[in-house]
Amino acid sequence: MVEKSSGNKGEKTAISRRRITLGILLGSLAGAFGSLLALLKVLSPEKKGGGYEATIVLGDRLVYAQGEKAGTPLRAAALKDGDAVLAYPVGKAQNQANLIQLIRLKEKAFKPPTRLDLTDQGFVAYSAICTHLGCTVSWVKNQTSPDTSFTECFCHNSIFDPTRGAKVLGGPAPIPLAQVGVKVAEDGVLLFTSGFIGPIGPQV
Amino acid sequence: MIFRWLDERLELKKFKDKFLAKTFPTHPTFLLGELALFSFVTLVLTGIFLGLLYEPSTKMVSLFGSMVPAAYASVVKIDLLPMGMIIRRIHHWSAMIMIASILTHLARVYFTSAYRKPREINWLVGLGLFGTSLGASFTGYLLPYSQFSVTATSIAYYVSKSVPWIGGGLSRLLFSGEFPSDGTVPRFFFLHVMLVPAVLVGLIALHLLILVKQKHTEPSANRIRKESHGGKKLIGIPVWPEQVVISLSFYFFLLFVVSLMATYVPLNPIEVYGPPAPGTPVMRPDWYFLPIYGFLKLVPGNLSLSIAGGKITPETIGGVIFPAVLFLLLAVIPFLDRVKEPLNYVENPLHRPVMTSIGIGGGVFLGMTAISGYLDVFRIEPGTMMLYTVLVPLVAWGICYTLLRLYNRRRE
Ligand code: HEM
Ligand code: FES
Repeated sequence: MVEKSSGNKGEKTAISRRRITLGILLGSLAGAFGSLLALLKVLSPEKKGGGYEATIVLGDRLVYAQGEKAGTPLRAAALKDGDAVLAYPVGKAQNQANLIQLIRLKEKAFKPPTRLDLTDQGFVAYSAICTHLGCTVSWVKNQTSPDTSFTECFCHNSIFDPTRGAKVLGGPAPIPLAQVGVKVAEDGVLLFTSGFIGPIGPQV
Repeated sequence: MIFRWLDERLELKKFKDKFLAKTFPTHPTFLLGELALFSFVTLVLTGIFLGLLYEPSTKMVSLFGSMVPAAYASVVKIDLLPMGMIIRRIHHWSAMIMIASILTHLARVYFTSAYRKPREINWLVGLGLFGTSLGASFTGYLLPYSQFSVTATSIAYYVSKSVPWIGGGLSRLLFSGEFPSDGTVPRFFFLHVMLVPAVLVGLIALHLLILVKQKHTEPSANRIRKESHGGKKLIGIPVWPEQVVISLSFYFFLLFVVSLMATYVPLNPIEVYGPPAPGTPVMRPDWYFLPIYGFLKLVPGNLSLSIAGGKITPETIGGVIFPAVLFLLLAVIPFLDRVKEPLNYVENPLHRPVMTSIGIGGGVFLGMTAISGYLDVFRIEPGTMMLYTVLVPLVAWGICYTLLRLYNRRRE
């Protein structure tokens, strides 16, 4: 009898000792991994990328964004009805948030919610960064009836209506491209007359 | 002589009896896994060559008079080396072949139900290998830093950023800050040439160890043969020398085919895509990312819901939830399709109407999502395509199921 109970006791202390060891093991494991979590923070720097904070200010001139004429001023005479081109505010091409698509259509083609006060002589400008996942939008020109040309993002085929405030006509983009004011100055070059009037870039 | 010298020190004889005498089944579909393994070997070899010449930096440098990122310049210079472009193409072709063979290997295992007890663990390891290879390709894509690379990676960046609650931290962790910034290329370079290959090597070793421990499944015809002869051992050929000879010939044949393709078929011509620039031309990812890419096109833009302060957007649905659900579904298969006794014979897919028809339906579904990647070419509305993407696989499943049922009724 005695022997048996003492045996039980020994077993019990062994079990509790095992428990304690296990507890220490798990505790230190949690501690070790807990401190590793801090490393995740270090590995995720707040490094600024292109970001989507546009720096367009009133009076900035428009310059070509690509091609041979990149960086040179955009003249109103260069665009005919139904044409479009990618442009930057002069000297601010480093920031891709500033990229816009300048479009020329017939003046009477525009309908709300296009802000007419931000257009001039048929020129309208929108952010060129797709609101879906950030590709640059392209211009799909209809040669026979230029006013039915539209803006399309070739990444996942979002389509925007330039005559209606770049409303989304199809595809996965959640919101329109933001309009930005432009006008033709006396010497024939294009100037910005406002910043973007809505959110730009991917809506994530 | 050398063998005896080594044997006396390393006990090679034991190793030889234990591992090299293992039997290997003779059916050609058992080579699919090897094809993946061999492609990986080629990737490591060509990758070493590329890694020695590649410069992981986005600093602007001058190349033929224009300023381009150093990474882009270094890959253009690789292309100009004798054989340089061919090595790069072999690397890229091998990546495609590796993923294609993993996929067909996975399909083989699925349709012959070789994933069932006791092989559930290896099925999961295999899925891990599949996912990690996709990761390897994805991180490799960015490295040439062409307009194409940057666009593809930028899309992935915003997809990861769109994940509710943790998106901001997650995207900064993966891309080392915002994209594009100068942090991403060095991070991806390390991931691509070190971390991801190391994980792949580890998983491959685990996969093969488990395989050796559990042995291959066998064609069910072997069961009848064995029962009549009273034998118990696996029927097949020994690893050494037969299988090694077959495998080596197979590998060199693969190398021959890949070199031939690399020589004559252009792939990822970064000189045509050019360095990062404002415009985005029409571009599609490599075929194995088409389902995700296509699905991103299908999810309508206004489909988003808010729960508990997080917003689930179409980007998250298409780019994160969709692939995650696919992997999860694959992962639970062996735990749904259970058997009591360990199984060591493959089954005839024709005798399993439920699983086979589901597999075919699933395959057709993936095919449809891949086709959705081309809906701009076919000029189909996303809504219509969504309908097809749901209906066509269902029809395929239905037809397949009915036919197999009829076939099996006749058989009995
Ligand atoms: C140790 C293994 C590996 C090393 C050292 C390595 C190294 C490299 C390097 C230096 C590049 C950039 C040069 C270039 O773009 O041509 C690259 C690109 C690439 N890698 Fe790897 N790699 C390895 C494994 C893999 C694996 C396992 C895969 C896929 C399953 C893969 C897929 C790719 C792809 C798709 C590219 C882009 C190729 C292109 O520009 O056309 N790599 N790799
Ligand atoms: S990024 Fe424009 S449609 Fe997806």
